Amino acid sequence: MVELALRFLLVGALAFGGGQAALPLVERITVAETGWLSSRDFATGVGLANATPGPVLILAAYVGYRVAGLAGALTATLAVFAVPVLLSALSVRLVGRWRGSARLEAFGRYAGAAAVGLLGVTLAALARPVWDLHPALLLLSAAVLLAERRGASPVLLLAAAALAGAAWGAVLG
Amino acid sequence: MPPGRPGLAALARAFLRLGALAFGGLGAALALFQRDLADGRGWVSQRDIGEALAFVKPLPGSTMLQVAVFLGGRLRGGPGALIAGLAFIAPAAALMTAAAALAVSLPDAPWARGAVGGIQVAVAGLLASAMWRLARSEAGGRVLTLVLAAACALGFFLPAALIVIGAGAAGAAGRGGRGADG
Repeated sequence: MVELALRFLLVGALAFGGGQAALPLVERITVAETGWLSSRDFATGVGLANATPGPVLILAAYVGYRVAGLAGALTATLAVFAVPVLLSALSVRLVGRWRGSARLEAFGRYAGAAAVGLLGVTLAALARPVWDLHPALLLLSAAVLLAERRGASPVLLLAAAALAGAAWGAVLG
Repeated sequence: MPPGRPGLAALARAFLRLGALAFGGLGAALALFQRDLADGRGWVSQRDIGEALAFVKPLPGSTMLQVAVFLGGRLRGGPGALIAGLAFIAPAAALMTAAAALAVSLPDAPWARGAVGGIQVAVAGLLASAMWRLARSEAGGRVLTLVLAAACALGFFLPAALIVIGAGAAGAAGRGGRGADG
């Protein structure tokens, strides 16, 4: 249990670039180094983590449950999110304390613009598999963009897209 | 700054709901936050969400959870941050534990693969929409638009944390002594 907590604390502390970027690290730890999960079970966990709402690192709850039951699920979940939550809470405090400092405001404005720009890189990474399925599908992505801008709920759009995809797969697959 | 400060119970309810609805990764979650917390409840502004993204992006960990924690902290300080984080993560943790307990696995069927493909299509569109909205609120003026474009281009080659901190540091160094600019 202690090892479970320590290993997932480390995953949280090293997950630079977000949860998706940390999945290889989780694979190293749970499959290769400790043998907690078979690689098939790990793949199932990743699939479930993507299918559930919220962060993909909730994968920790799955691994924790398989290793040590309910207590394990709770331990691994708290451990993997402890450092990121603490850092984020700390940064909001620091930002609050320095509010009104011209330098920090400038830092926030420039860093903010850069962070939004970086979403473009994420977007390219997400568009790539869509392009690989069929380039014309990106037109449907654009349709989702327009629908969301016109007020359609993101959750409903996701549900509709999943249903349409499932129907398409069932008919043609 | 937000016009109305919610109570901790209202905050917990709101983030519990967001945690249950945040399917599809960071882009879809950002679109959801913008819709619910900014447009719907008016607790935060689009700028607050952009600022949250700017300060948590260089940190390790799940970005969408950290944006939730940052906004919770912006609304209600330390307790708000903690409650937002716990509430946001609770639905996923419960679902995931239940799935592990039931030894559920996703079927490897054509319809399931189709559904995943459909979600990928939608998520790309939702992220583009979130990015559009944030670009409008964050990149006022020619210099910031340039920073945004440069970060996007450099992002393909350099670590994200380096770019965000570098851009922030450049801004602080260049503009620190002066007042508003744009």
